[in-house]
Amino acid sequence: MQAFTDLAFATLRLTTPIILAALAGLLSQQVGLINIALEGMMLAAAFAAVLGAFYAQHALVGVVAAVVTGMLVALVFAVFVLRFRANLIVAGLAANILALGGTGYLLQVLYQTRGAFAPPGLRGLGTVHIPGLSQIPILGPILDGHSPLVYVTWVLVILTSIFLNRTVTGLRVRAVGEQAEAATTVGIPARRLQYGMLLAAGGLCGLAGAQMSLGNLQLFVYNMTNGRGFMALAAVFFGQAQPWATTLGSVVFGFFDALQIRLQTTVGVPPQITQILPFLSIVVVLTWVSWRRYRARPVAA
Amino acid sequence: MTRTVVRPQWVGELGRSFVTFSAALVIGALVMVATGRDAWGAYRTLFAVAFLGAQNLADTLLAATPLIFTGLATAVAFRAGVFNIGVEGALYLGAFAAAWIGFTLTGLPAGLLIPLAFLAAGLAGALFMLIPGALRAYLRVDEIVTTIMLNYVAISFTSYLVNYPYAVPGLANAMSPKIALAAQLPRLLPPSQLNLALIVVLLLVPLVHWLLSRTTLGYELRALGSNPIFARWSGVPVPAVILQVMLLSGFIGGLAGAGQVLGVNYRFVDNFSPGYGFDGITIALLGRNTALGSLIAAVLLGALRSGGATLELFVDIPKDLILILEATIIFFVTAEFVLTFPRRRHAGVH
Amino acid sequence: MAEAVPLVRMEEISKAFPGVLANDRITFEVADGEIHALVGENGAGKTTLMRILYGLERADAGRIYWSGRPVAIQSTEDAIHLGIGMVHQRFQLVPSLTAAESVTLGQEPRRGVFFDRARARAVVQELGARFGLAVNPGARIAELSVGEQQRVEILKLLYRQARLLVLDEPTTVLTPQEVAQLYEVLRRLVAEGRTVIFITHKLAEVLAASDRVTVLRRGCVVGTLPTREATGEGLARMIVGETMPAILARGGEPPGPPMLRLERVSAADDRGLPALVEITLEVRRGEILGIAGVEGNGQKELVEVATGVRRPTSGRFLLNGQDLTRADVAARRRAGLAVIPEDRYTEGLSLPMTIEDNLIATRYRALATRGVLRMVAVRAESAALMRRFDVRAPHPRVSARTLSGGNLQRVVVARELGGEPAALIAAHPTRGLDIAAARFVHQQLLEMRTRGGAVLLISADLDEIMALADRIGVLFAGRIVGELSAAAATREQLGLLMAGRSATA
Repeated sequence: MQAFTDLAFATLRLTTPIILAALAGLLSQQVGLINIALEGMMLAAAFAAVLGAFYAQHALVGVVAAVVTGMLVALVFAVFVLRFRANLIVAGLAANILALGGTGYLLQVLYQTRGAFAPPGLRGLGTVHIPGLSQIPILGPILDGHSPLVYVTWVLVILTSIFLNRTVTGLRVRAVGEQAEAATTVGIPARRLQYGMLLAAGGLCGLAGAQMSLGNLQLFVYNMTNGRGFMALAAVFFGQAQPWATTLGSVVFGFFDALQIRLQTTVGVPPQITQILPFLSIVVVLTWVSWRRYRARPVAA
Repeated sequence: MTRTVVRPQWVGELGRSFVTFSAALVIGALVMVATGRDAWGAYRTLFAVAFLGAQNLADTLLAATPLIFTGLATAVAFRAGVFNIGVEGALYLGAFAAAWIGFTLTGLPAGLLIPLAFLAAGLAGALFMLIPGALRAYLRVDEIVTTIMLNYVAISFTSYLVNYPYAVPGLANAMSPKIALAAQLPRLLPPSQLNLALIVVLLLVPLVHWLLSRTTLGYELRALGSNPIFARWSGVPVPAVILQVMLLSGFIGGLAGAGQVLGVNYRFVDNFSPGYGFDGITIALLGRNTALGSLIAAVLLGALRSGGATLELFVDIPKDLILILEATIIFFVTAEFVLTFPRRRHAGVH
Repeated sequence: MAEAVPLVRMEEISKAFPGVLANDRITFEVADGEIHALVGENGAGKTTLMRILYGLERADAGRIYWSGRPVAIQSTEDAIHLGIGMVHQRFQLVPSLTAAESVTLGQEPRRGVFFDRARARAVVQELGARFGLAVNPGARIAELSVGEQQRVEILKLLYRQARLLVLDEPTTVLTPQEVAQLYEVLRRLVAEGRTVIFITHKLAEVLAASDRVTVLRRGCVVGTLPTREATGEGLARMIVGETMPAILARGGEPPGPPMLRLERVSAADDRGLPALVEITLEVRRGEILGIAGVEGNGQKELVEVATGVRRPTSGRFLLNGQDLTRADVAARRRAGLAVIPEDRYTEGLSLPMTIEDNLIATRYRALATRGVLRMVAVRAESAALMRRFDVRAPHPRVSARTLSGGNLQRVVVARELGGEPAALIAAHPTRGLDIAAARFVHQQLLEMRTRGGAVLLISADLDEIMALADRIGVLFAGRIVGELSAAAATREQLGLLMAGRSATA
């Protein structure tokens, strides 16, 4: 039982940055832009979070710094993609390299270190204890005592779902992503919505980065995102850019992440195998979707 | 958006790449000045370390070797309008295949073992591309997404191999057993690690150029890349060409892995690539998807890489500066890239 | 009607695209409250004219008056603001949105930041009831039939208070029942004070649904007349032209044995609707079979099926007695089939490639040994083709982009006819060419015939067909509705057939 509770607790914690980045990815996808740059936005934000929290001696400042930094990387990406019509994929890879090189460069220029940076006295996000929550059997110990961003994340999932499905802007966003031409012919400023969603994605990745460097851990490590942005992207494809399905995908992948340590020690399943699953499942899902489309196609050869 | 690869207009195109490269150097200089570093000194050192002196030049070419491979692998795919991002995955599988041959068939002489290891590496890379290639060719599954995802599968899979079935007990880092001495590529200019892989890839450059310009497959992939509708109406077997191009790209990507294993590491090391496969994208773009252009771009990038390490040692500039330069190059090259390569979305093959 | 101030008057409108004069000093008027049909073959300039009216293109010259007042329409917003709405041939709808969302998109009813779903539904229901355009406001676009999607498109315009509705080929996507319903809707629109322009190819529709009709040909107005004074054959002739062509020498041997044969071939178009219905036709050696017809009656699919880029749903394709139904493009070409495609810029040529590369596109395999191109042969072959077909270019290895339209078509013709093919499919081979270039193409087709080749000539230009063909088949609604020998065919007969009536009626 304790093992289960621990696992569920860890899943919730480890899943949080992936959900946040996946929400960022889905907002981008909803305006028709595959966002490869999630990884870079998260990484730069994770670094900024540590700097902000360290210098201001306050975690909240770190979170704000992370969000701003995520949005800055997003802005660079957006300007190249939307203004200079750069290739989406290539510009995304460039943004990731820029974030990796930029954080690495600053890490050394400012702190003469490669690898981990954990300034003494760094304030993490801490944990929140919701009165009464821990008393609930089974669920209590799983849900209580997380970093505040864990709870914020689930609120954001709900808000994203409401935004896309209930608001006028959400409706326009969906129209732009699915049929940009149809949206522009009725006077919807598609370009502006694309900028808006990419910046929002940057902000969400900022939170994801903050959770990684101030929530899950209290330090920054060179290249600490290590593929989580791509895992989030996989979740977006898994959930076909729908908020709840994408969140489910993130949780499943986060669960594998949490599970692998246990599987390795108890059953002996190598972590690499569980790491493969999210990515392999996307290929399977895409193949399945395309196969159905192929079967349903008109007879044109 | 249609995917159109424009035939090289040699001088102009490479000239523009040069401008891009210079622009990146300017931005890098701004970064250094802003952080109180001596930009002029850094570039001078970088140039000296990259090109002056036989050993320095050898190290530059050593750094360029895998990049030439991955640049060529990417260029052949892009030239056909196939957006293959999976060279990194092919490189890992190729590297492991080469290592496996190297530490398993230890009794063979070098003359047999080395070609065999390269061949196995190429086949492993090609086999890997069979999945996204067939999906793209016959079911029109977007190759960008599948190759990005399958990269992780390949990297994790090889990591599993050297952590479990082929783990060497007692080593801190996961790596395969060492390959036989006969499988190790001879050094060209010791003490530099520069090795025979460079010669292999230098032979590959004219071969790829010849393939693109003088063979039916080359013709077909150029036709496809420049106008897929025209290709179909002319009788180019489009799905077959897409698949062949992906396999070829994977094959060359696999060779890149073999070069590193047989020439530098002498074993498969978990997570050994700092993104050679992704660098291939930069190189192909910078080299305008041509063989010779890829060679030049790879040597430039190799110079940055090999110089970067020295920068850190001698002028106190983090080698991550090189990544910043590289990112800037990619941003600029892709921004103008669209002018000659109007970006698609499945307007392509119907 | 003509005395009142017209709702729209487009005066002396000209618009040129590179190489084509799409609109040549067109003057066009639509009266308030009428249904006005705009007809003409592809490339006649109809759509360009309407795109100018809707602000999607800017005219090079000319003026537009709205209710007698000069207006400057610089963007679609201007057009919408005036009360002009357009339903494009390709619907501008988002598949996953509901009908109510689609209709109101861009001017959504809102409650704060939220979309007011109830009001959107009410609006759709109310407009639908008023104009006879019932759709379920809660249904997603993807679940609606094409006819219902079209209603959503029209509702979009009505929601935006459009007074003038432009429908671009509204019936091509509809079933006959839906077409009848559309006519109803058009009448309701007019009864409610709206004005309609619809663009079409189909003469029956002009006659059935419009008050007045304007015919365009090659960018010019041929005439405007009240529909009750128009006849199908009269319109058909206005559309395809009446000028007598230069007489071309025809002669040579009488046609030989069958070479190209389509047997009960049916095919679907891109939307999966039937485009060809049990077509049977045969071209013999030394013969040109012309396929006449108003465009959009299956010509495109016929060419694609014969070339091998579209699979037929049933039927057989034979070349020289050999069944090639399942053969791909390359196999058909190896068997001796040549094709001059309709669109030389996309299907016929690769503009970024060199002239030489373009010239060898259909025979690069024959010029290779075990996958390696024999460059000497490639160079010799392309040089010979350029000489023989008089392709004027600075060098065989410059990008095809540098050539003029006429020279580009020479490249296509050189490639397709240079290999002495057994059969040729020529789709609108002279469209957009100047007289000299067109004459060159005609001569080449006749030479091919003299040589004993079989030519299937698909053209919307009746003059071209009558000047070149030995026999003429008429394609209407995906069927061959009549076949005449060229010597016996008259314009009247052909006009009737093209309008969908049997020659004997």
